[in-house]
Order: sequence, then structure tokens, then C-alpha cells
Amino acid sequence: MEKIIVCVKAVPDLRSVKVDPETHTLRRDSADLLLNPHDAPAIELAMRLKERLGVEVVVLTMGPPNASSVLRRVYSLGADRLILLSDRAFAGSDTLATSKVLAKALEKLSPFSLVLMGLKSIDGETAQVPPETAVLLGIPSVTNVRNISVENGVFILERVTDYGIEELEVAPPLVVSVTTKLDYIRPPSLKRLLKEREVEVTIWNAETLRLSQEEVGLRGSPTQVASVFEKTISSKGEIWEGPPEELSERLIELLRQKGFLKS
Amino acid sequence: MLEYPLTNEERTIKDLIKEIGEKYILPKALEWDEKEIYDPLPIRALADADLFGIIVPEEYGGLGLGVRAMCIAVEWLSYYCAGVSTTYAASFLGAYPIILFGNEEQKRIYLPDIARGKKLCAFALTEPQAGSDAFAIKTQAIKNGDYYILNGVKQWITNGGIADIYVVIAMTDPTKGARGATAFIVEKGDPGFVVGKKEKKLGLRASVTTDLIFNECRIPKERVIAREGMGFMVALRTLDYARCGAGAQALGIGQFALEVSLRHARKRIQFGQPVYNFQAVSHTFAEMAMRLESARALVYQVASYIDSGAKDFSGASAMAKCYATDQAMWVCERAIQMMGGYGYMRDYPVQKLFRDAKCLQIYEGTNEIQKNVIARELAKFVKI
Amino acid sequence: MSEIIYAYGEFFDRKLHPGSLEILTPLRDIASALNKKVALLILSSSLEEVKNCEDIERADCDEVHLVVHESLHHVRDDLYGRVLAQIIRQKNPFGVFFPATHQGSSLAPRVAGELQVGLCAHVNGFTLKEGNLYMLRPTYGDNIIAELYSKSRPIMATLSLGAFSIREGKRAPRVVMIDLPKDFNWESKIRVRRAIKVKREPNRLSIAKVVVAGGLGLKTKENFQKLFELASLLEGEVGATRPVCHAGWVDEGRMIGVSGVSVRPKLYIGFGISGSIQHTVGIENSEFIVAVNIDKEAPLVKIANVALIADAGKVLDTLIKKLSRSSQSEL
Repeated sequence: MEKIIVCVKAVPDLRSVKVDPETHTLRRDSADLLLNPHDAPAIELAMRLKERLGVEVVVLTMGPPNASSVLRRVYSLGADRLILLSDRAFAGSDTLATSKVLAKALEKLSPFSLVLMGLKSIDGETAQVPPETAVLLGIPSVTNVRNISVENGVFILERVTDYGIEELEVAPPLVVSVTTKLDYIRPPSLKRLLKEREVEVTIWNAETLRLSQEEVGLRGSPTQVASVFEKTISSKGEIWEGPPEELSERLIELLRQKGFLKS
Repeated sequence: MLEYPLTNEERTIKDLIKEIGEKYILPKALEWDEKEIYDPLPIRALADADLFGIIVPEEYGGLGLGVRAMCIAVEWLSYYCAGVSTTYAASFLGAYPIILFGNEEQKRIYLPDIARGKKLCAFALTEPQAGSDAFAIKTQAIKNGDYYILNGVKQWITNGGIADIYVVIAMTDPTKGARGATAFIVEKGDPGFVVGKKEKKLGLRASVTTDLIFNECRIPKERVIAREGMGFMVALRTLDYARCGAGAQALGIGQFALEVSLRHARKRIQFGQPVYNFQAVSHTFAEMAMRLESARALVYQVASYIDSGAKDFSGASAMAKCYATDQAMWVCERAIQMMGGYGYMRDYPVQKLFRDAKCLQIYEGTNEIQKNVIARELAKFVKI
Repeated sequence: MSEIIYAYGEFFDRKLHPGSLEILTPLRDIASALNKKVALLILSSSLEEVKNCEDIERADCDEVHLVVHESLHHVRDDLYGRVLAQIIRQKNPFGVFFPATHQGSSLAPRVAGELQVGLCAHVNGFTLKEGNLYMLRPTYGDNIIAELYSKSRPIMATLSLGAFSIREGKRAPRVVMIDLPKDFNWESKIRVRRAIKVKREPNRLSIAKVVVAGGLGLKTKENFQKLFELASLLEGEVGATRPVCHAGWVDEGRMIGVSGVSVRPKLYIGFGISGSIQHTVGIENSEFIVAVNIDKEAPLVKIANVALIADAGKVLDTLIKKLSRSSQSEL
């Protein structure tokens, strides 16, 4: 089996995120970054495969320079090699442009047997990048997978759909997105945490990946933000104040009038 | 209240334990206690986090850290659940004899798996008629060629059944008394070795305690730790090291009890104000804090003393264990009182802490025995 | 001939996914305004399956475009993506839209990637300006709506589930069979070993008449659990905000909003919910909204018909006490 690559995303900490008033995109540079929580199951499945197959696990992220802290976190979870795809030109990429960057990096890392990603990111929540990256690489993708095993060099995947469970057989290479929940996700390793700061993060930019400025970032993104507006809220209702007891009684009376209660 | 300067390793351990505690322990701890179940999941998490490797030397796959690092791990694990920390700390109790007295071969065979948490350990000394009077053990090991044949029963053994490696103290020559015992490594599945029923306990209910039964159990002579006749030496030295861990458990339990009850007292309104405003309440908290901090200072100091290479630390570690566990018991009892009815209800954690804390005054040598040790050691300091 | 707007028809077990019917509603309006027609695009392994399907006959669209081939028995994303891309190349539609189901969200990016066109997600509204189509989606973190457009054709997006209500068509749509080129490659690199049907309880939240929802303002998981008591007293369902689900207080299936389900009950009561747009887009279609919050300035307080300014947990407690007392006295 060739190496496994996990693509993760550094997401802004919800409490610190700001929207750029000019470009209308999230200002990731100002925010604290966290590992996208939905990526944790993908990392866990990668580690279980690593234990069984003894393959190298490479972790990849596209993001600003400070996203390397998130990669180091994945190192503590068991990753062998960390690669950060970072370039000002990547900023503002939509899912297609993002998938192009990832696909180029994956090509550069090939051969690989499996690319794992979280089902979706907690910020964009589009779930589009895994299948879109796969199609750009010309390889199959399977989404929402909860278990992976290997038989005779072929991956056996358990996929959860809206209608049930599918057991699929796919020869490498392929892209898999993993369910947002697993029975168990390992914590970081103390040994690796103590070495985290010394670990090298390889940085690849647009030039390394032979991507032109037109193909990526805001310019390379076919979907564009025309405007953003705040949802205007006009107070239309009544405001009741007072002790909880009294408010509850008034509410019950109102619900009764409105026919939500039987008597 | 006090901040202790921690090394990089110690800080990392503390943060890691907190992460594990919040995620794998806290949401379930009350349920484990209520239903008296051992859940292997937090143990798996601790193993994956390398936390079983803290005291194992680096050359055998561990981190080679000292007693203080172990205490910090046990303290914060106990903050989340002393039942889980009992499983964890009891495994160290079983690992210490191999680390301290095992030969190269034994270390090579057992320590890497112990460090990775793939194998849990247990330590078996106590017997039905030999508790505080450890020299009264009856389990026999009779040499027969390349084997020893073990017969007897060990009682109240933490991790019985879930451990893979058991360090068992048995009499090889009853006529020699204190010099007649030997320490053996017994593995799960050894012929003639069975695990008895799981005990029902007042506290530490997320941990497993059982009898171990040896019936013509054949153990190869390579499994003797140190030499024949050194069994009690191995056992007592192991307890000297591990006793700080029991003290550390007390710190975690006491800390949690203090925090929970303090939060309650500051929020609970009676007579139109938070009960914390009443001096009878706030002074109790002041006393709880002082006792807890003094216990912590002692446990940390004794652990550092052991790590510094001190040879004579039986008395010191007995003090740390006895003092800290007595304070935790007191703090937990007061925490219930400060919470009134809420403290007594099983929906709230303080009653669990109280029951857990009680065991600490009993196991790994009762606090009465600790005082014997302290008194014995103390006598050496004054020549008469 | 007028241009087509495609809606992906997710078809399984002789039924259309309601999401596919929902998205026809706004697409129909867009088609009318731009003089285009709406077609439901369905892939199936047998004509038998699709024939006489009530869902399809009632669909509010002009045409149903059918591709039937035995290889389409299971939804294998690589093959389905290629088939859809091929049809789009043949028909050159104005837009292609998917319901944001698991299947829709998996197939849409394969199609968009193959055609190298843009793809928006979580669209829950459209605007037309000078003949241009803009898509609306709530953004992350703030109470902000983004208005998006696509530089590429066809315009593609996945549309939020529950964001639109199903409208019945006036007459049954015309069925058009679509043939793919003779040399089309029907192979997939994915082999289905087995597919186990799991009969899932339909998410009753989206059709509940009464929804009681809780947010972090309830402070503890235990308080949140009490919502289930209230829900049973009011014969309703329990909903939750996103942070509450992420905190592990309740299963993600209860999440209301952008990443969860949209609800349209007669009565919605939000306890300790400040009302970030993530959540409020999912409750906009509620008939009567009650907010219980300590913070008078919370957005949900402003959109509510009635807002109770008080500690959510305490109000929840007293409501349960009073309601269970009155229901007992009835017995």
C-alpha cells in the first residue's frame, strides 16, 4: 500500500472571526485557528490504517502561515509528514479553486493509496471539496464513510447514506470523506506533544505547485460574493418582563387562547 | 490557589489529562459510578496518549519521567474520576517492581507493552488474613525444577481480570518469615490462575477489584523478580514509590470537591443572599483550601524528593499518602455539608467524591500503618 | 426553445426525496420570470421503477428528464457524476440545482468539478436583478447573508433542505427519455458489495406542529434534557442550536438551522437561544415564535411574537410544573 494523505482545514475560532468589509470573505488572518472538528474522524481512520498497514501518513492543509499550528496538532495525533499549502494567491478560493490547489499538491505527492478528508468543514459546511478534488484527479470518491478496511489490496468502505449502509469495494487510489462521528477518536500522544515544536512543516506555494495566479484564489473562483447584508430584524412582538412564575402563567394562558393546549 | 512551577513535560501532561478528562471521563463518570461499570474507553485513551509510559525508562519505550510527573497525571485524572485513576495508578503499582527490580530480559519483554498501555498491570500482596499484617501471607510458591508451583488466594486486587501482567508476592520459604517471600510475574492465562468475582465497593466503582486464585499454577523460574527471598523487599519498595500516587489521587478528588461545592455556595441563595456570604460557610471553605494546599505542597515536595535520588523516603512518602488522603476525606465531608441536600443526592458528584476518598485512607497501606512507618522512620532522627 | 433549469431528482425505492420536490418551488418562479422551463432530472436503473410514480406526477415542473440504464442501480458517485455531466453537456442548461441531501452534496461537486464550473452551497433563497440570478446563503458566525453569483454556466448550487415548501404541479410533467452516446462509458470504479436498507425514523422535527428548542442559555445538559418533558406535554419535538449539539447536549439530528433542518411549526419556543442567523433561518417559517431569554437585545427576542425576558432554565422549570399539574387535574 502506498501512503495515505489526510487533508485537513484550519478553521477560525468562532469567537474571534471577522468578515472583511471589502472582500466579504472571512478574515482568517486575524482569527485564532483550530483544527476543523469534523476532520478528527478522518485522522483517526488514517491512524487505524497506519497501525494495520504500516504506511506513511502525510497531512496537508491549505491556509495562512499560522495554519502550521493546526498541522502540528495533527502531528501529535500521529501524522508523519506535514505540508502547508500557503500563498497569498490562494486567499478567497471557493471550493473549485481550493480543490484545484489540493489536487495539484496530491499529484505532487503521488503515488498515494488513499486521501482522507472530513465530511465537511465546520465553517463552510459545503462538503464539496472531497468529491471535487477527486474528480479533478480523475479518481473515485466515496462520501460519509464510517469504517475502512483492506482486503487483498482493495479498500472496503462502509458508507452511511440517507437510506442505509453500503459496503463498497474500491481499488486505490481514491478520496474518502469520513462521517462526523466515530465510536472513538484517540487523544494526542504525550511523546509527540513534547516533540511538536521541533517538527518540520513543509510549505508549498503557488509556484511550487505550478499554479498560475488566475487559476486560484478569488480570481480563480467562479462563484463570487456580490454583496453581504445584515439580516435586518424589526421588533414585531411583545416583550414581557417579570418573575419566571408569572411569565410562565401568562405564556400558558396565551398558548391556551391560541389553541396549543387542549383545555 | 497556589501556582506550582511545572516543567514543560509536567504542564503538557496536565493539559493532556484535562483534555482526556473533559472528553472521555467527565460526561460518563457519574454513570460508571452509579452502575458500577468499568469502561475500557478512557483507559484506551490514556494508552493512546502514551500516559502509561510516564515512569517507564525511555530505552523501553516510555518517557522516563519521575514520581512528580506521575503524581501530576494521577492528580488530574482523579479530578475527573478517581475510579479511572485507580485503574491507572494500580497499573503503575504493578509496573514498578519490574522497572525497579526486573532483569534486562524481563524489562525487554514487559515494559514496551506496559509503556504503550497495551497491557495493564496489577500488584497482588493482600490476602484474606493478611492485610496490614502483610508478612502473614499464606500463598505458597514451591520450586519444582524450572518452575514454581503457586497455591493460594489474593484478595481485593485492583485490576484483577482486566490486567495482563500480575506481580504476585508468595512465600517460597515460610520458615524465613520476612525473608521467605518472592515476587513473581504471573500472566493472564497462565495455567492454574483464575480471577475471582468482582467485589462490590462503596467507592472507586469505575475500577475493578477481584480475588486472584492460584491452584497448582505453574510459573517458569525466569519470572522471579530480583531473587528468591526478596519478595517483601520488592513489595515495600514498590509501595514506597507508589504511595505518593495515592496522595496525588487525594489532591484531585479534594480539588474537585472544593470547586463543585464552592460554585454551589456562591450561587445558592438562602435568606436572600448567597450562602457563601455566611461566615460559617466561607470560613469552612477557607479551611478546606488551606488543608488542600498544604497537602498538595507535601505531595509535590515528597515526589520531588524521591526524584532527586533520595534513598530513604519511606517515611516521607507515608506522610504524603496519609496526610493528603486524610485532608481529602475531610474536604469531601465538608463539601457535602456545604451543599446540604444537594451534596447528599446522587445526581450530584460530591457524594461520589466522598465515597471515593474513603478508600484512599485504607488502600496501599491503611493510614494507621502509614503512621507506624512514619513513627519508625522518625525514631532514626534522634539518637538516644 | 427555452433553456432548461434542472433540479436533481433524488430517487430511491419508487419515491422522490422531498428535498427534490422542495427545490422545484423557487426554480419554477425563476423559470417563469426568465422564460425558461424547469425539468426534474432522474437517473434510474429501470423504467418500471419510475413509471406511475405519484411523486413525479405531482411534481411542479414542466418536464421530467429520465436516464435509464442498468448500471445506475446503485448510486456510485463517479458514474453518476459522469452521467450528469454528459447530460449537461448535451442539454446546455441555464442552471443545475441539487437538494443538499447526502447524495446531492456528494454528486454536485463531482459534476461541478468535471465541468469546472462554480458551485454554491446551502442556498436558501434567490434574487433576480436585471435578469441576473443571485443566490442567498447565510454565512458563518455573524448575522450576515451573502448574495452570491456564478461567473460560469450552468449556475450550480445545493439548496438547503426545508428552506422551500413543496408546491403541487398543475398538471403532470412531460416525461422525456434522454439517450447518452453509444460509446458512453458506463463503468464505475466502485463496486457495491451490499447495500443494507435501514428504515430510519423520518425526522419528525421538520414536520412537527410544536417545536421547543434550546440553546446554550439553558446552561447545562440537564436543563436541556427537560425540554423533552415540555415537548411531550405540548405534543411537540425538541430542537437545538448548533453550539448545543457541538457541546454534546443532544444528537445532531436535532439541530435547527443552516447545517441542520428547517422547521415550520405552528408554535416555536426558543429557550436560551440568542438567535444567530445559523439558527433563525431554520425557524423563519414558524407561525408563532416565543423567545425566552435573559437578554433583551438577543436577535431571537426581536423576531419573536412574544419574548419572555427571564432565565430560560427557570421558565422551563415552572412551565413544566404548571403544565403537568394541569394535565394531571384533567385526568
